[in-house]
Amino acid sequence: MSKFISWIDERLPVSNFVKNHLSQYYAPKNFNIFYYFGALAIFIFILQIVTGIFLTINYKPDAAQAFASVEYIMRDVEWGWLVRYLHSTGASFFFIVIYLHMFRAMLYGSYKNPRELLWLFGMVIFVLLMAEAFMGYLLPWGQMSYWGAQVIISLFGAIPYVGESLALWIRGDYVISDATLNRFFAFHVIALPLLLFALIYLHLAALHTTGSNNPDGIEIKNNKDENGIPKDGIPFHPYYTVKDIFGLSVFLIIFMFVVFFIPELGGYFLEKDNFVPADPLKTPEHIVPVWYFTPFYAILRAIPDKLGGVLAMGAAIFVLFILPWLDRCSVKSFRYRSTTYKTLLALFVISFIGLGYIGMNPVTPVLTWLGRLFTFIYFGFFVALYITSANEKTKDIPDRVTMHD
Amino acid sequence: MSDSNKPSNRRKFLTNVTQIMGGIGGIFALIPFLSTMSPSEKAKSAGAPVEIDVSSLQPGSFKVVEWRGKPVWVVRRTAEMIENTLEDNDVLSDPKSTGEHQPEYTKNKYRSINPEFLVLLGVCTHLGCSPLYKPNAKSAELGLDWKGGFFCPCHGSKFDLSGRVHKAMPAPYNLEVPPYYFASSSRIIVGEDGKDV
Amino acid sequence: MKKLKISLTGSPCMIKQLFFFIVIISSNLLFAADGTTLKPVLIDLNNKASLQRGAQIYINNCFGCHTLKYQRYVKFVDHLSLPKETIENNLIFTTDKNGEKTKIGSLMLNAVHPTSSKEAFGVMPPDLTLIARSRGPEWLYTFLISFYKDESRPYGVNNTLYPNVNMPHVLWWMEGVKQPINNEKTDFEYVINGSMSDKEYKKSITDLVNFLTYVSEPAQLDRYRIGFWVILFLLLFSFIAFLLKSEYWKDVK
Repeated sequence: MSKFISWIDERLPVSNFVKNHLSQYYAPKNFNIFYYFGALAIFIFILQIVTGIFLTINYKPDAAQAFASVEYIMRDVEWGWLVRYLHSTGASFFFIVIYLHMFRAMLYGSYKNPRELLWLFGMVIFVLLMAEAFMGYLLPWGQMSYWGAQVIISLFGAIPYVGESLALWIRGDYVISDATLNRFFAFHVIALPLLLFALIYLHLAALHTTGSNNPDGIEIKNNKDENGIPKDGIPFHPYYTVKDIFGLSVFLIIFMFVVFFIPELGGYFLEKDNFVPADPLKTPEHIVPVWYFTPFYAILRAIPDKLGGVLAMGAAIFVLFILPWLDRCSVKSFRYRSTTYKTLLALFVISFIGLGYIGMNPVTPVLTWLGRLFTFIYFGFFVALYITSANEKTKDIPDRVTMHD
Repeated sequence: MSDSNKPSNRRKFLTNVTQIMGGIGGIFALIPFLSTMSPSEKAKSAGAPVEIDVSSLQPGSFKVVEWRGKPVWVVRRTAEMIENTLEDNDVLSDPKSTGEHQPEYTKNKYRSINPEFLVLLGVCTHLGCSPLYKPNAKSAELGLDWKGGFFCPCHGSKFDLSGRVHKAMPAPYNLEVPPYYFASSSRIIVGEDGKDV
Repeated sequence: MKKLKISLTGSPCMIKQLFFFIVIISSNLLFAADGTTLKPVLIDLNNKASLQRGAQIYINNCFGCHTLKYQRYVKFVDHLSLPKETIENNLIFTTDKNGEKTKIGSLMLNAVHPTSSKEAFGVMPPDLTLIARSRGPEWLYTFLISFYKDESRPYGVNNTLYPNVNMPHVLWWMEGVKQPINNEKTDFEYVINGSMSDKEYKKSITDLVNFLTYVSEPAQLDRYRIGFWVILFLLLFSFIAFLLKSEYWKDVK
């Protein structure tokens, strides 16, 4: 065996790679529950690729056959229902995991110097993932697939001068049609997964260049022992591999519970109207995007102007890209930051969840008013952060990381 | 940290248990994925047994039906044809049908349940062409010693009236007999063994 | 497990999100889109007798207009515990395009020509394979017990849940025909008696809705059963993984 390994190593540095990225890659020892979500996101990415491949075997990207082919998978293909539910539940869980992963970065300042590029790659992944999910959602060709896509593509029409032609170009037809379905299928199964794969690679490469941040926001590389090993670091393998295996198994309990017992999750993971085939002549009573888009959708609806709404929605995502430069405080973790920052962050989280709730519900005067308030808080967070973080009163940071168990 | 120490027994044991359980879980997880590639209910339905009504089939004549996308022949043999089937054992490659190319209940010299009716899969065992039905003996095309049977136009394989291949032919073995049974004296169900088998 | 518990309480925002999920799920129960109260119906997919009765009611009364075009008859063998012969003799009454009796492996299409039913009803009667998923069993149950006499409508009946629905009360011979005795249409009296008592009719409708719930997702029969074993395995695996993790993490001080 060792002979074989050295034969390989002379030709491909496998052992070196394992050493540099697993057995001698030092991660801070004080990771908490929020640090499971990166590994979980990779797991779901692989799950989506695998289930996706097996779904494409039986799916037909044709407006006349798509809906029936999904039902065919659900009924006539052996175990097809399970593969489909893994994929549909996986999509929602991907966003749950990614939102918590991003929230973790905000809690502990993981986007700050020297990890700005890591954050930017992550943001590109987030945007690509939204595109991936949006295009995938058209494929079952149900009423929500159809009208959801209709609404979102119409947003491009708001862009001055070129908008209408742009929307027409994206659809490849005057309405959402077979042409749109076919191109979305191509992007969903080939183009975007390839891009995502590349971006995830860059994200991990950047992570392993700077090393992980941690809940105390201390750079463990600044405190090394005589062998050059960070004093607060532990080898990723075996310590974090065994920990992530445990985290993954707990995650799978929740995930599989949803897959097997409540795959529709009361209409939030699989919407009721999507069990009606797409009908271009009949709009459902109330069109709702899937839950993971609703915070941004609520911002869109909060602005009483088509172009303004689209711009606000775009800005809500763009502003996250420049977060590393808006937050001017050098202290990373919220644990050692001011009450002002903690209050702002809490308000931001409340506004994000509130917007998510509003985006799922029909327009009422109260919700419209609340939507505007939360939109104001959402953007207000970034403005206030830029102002207050310049001269923030922070607490003393310990020299070494702290363990909370 | 235990870099220089050997891993404890408990540690080794737990690692092994985790690996074995993970492996078992992984194998079980494979089943659904691989199963999606087996024939679906739709394919099974299209490949379901077919019924052939032979009441109107004249003695000596021949009928083709489709089963799982392949031609199935039914020949109603005349008394003369049954006799011809008996004689020519010396020119056949496998007269006793020793190969596993027919259900057990047709492993006889007529290769059928009822000698009057021959049911065959009309696909040459050489390269999958469909042979032609040549029931008349002594044809100009197939020679004077031809006793009637099937002739494959692609590579010239000859079969007798029971679908048994002649010696030294490209086709390696006898024409296959699909599973079938008589639902009544005039209704043949192809694609399924009878209940009493 | 102490470790996990502490880190959970250490992240209040995650708990907030979980709570938010529970609230939105529970708010989804028992209200139609327009706020009409729906009647609860007991769905029991393990009750094969109920599913069989429901299938028979569907074939005899609904199937003439409403196809189940994604469902295959042959599934009833395993799912409804019906012998092939019973399905062929009692449930299959249609012929295929060659004029031969529909095969048991076929999809459940009916013999009605689409344009002729569109002429008769003004709309194409919808396929009902997935109706229990798009509307929900409670909606179906409430709909089927909400027909009442209304001479102004083309079929002489109307529906309190779905006003001005373009569908006759096909099951009137079972239920009878009722007429509202107040303006709010909450109380009714029967003007024609059906073959069943009110209780019997509601039981038959429960069977029918039970059957349609099964048809909308036959995988339900498998997934709860398999899910139980999957979760059990994962619980056991998590326990072992936790022991393994704790064993290694003894090193970390």
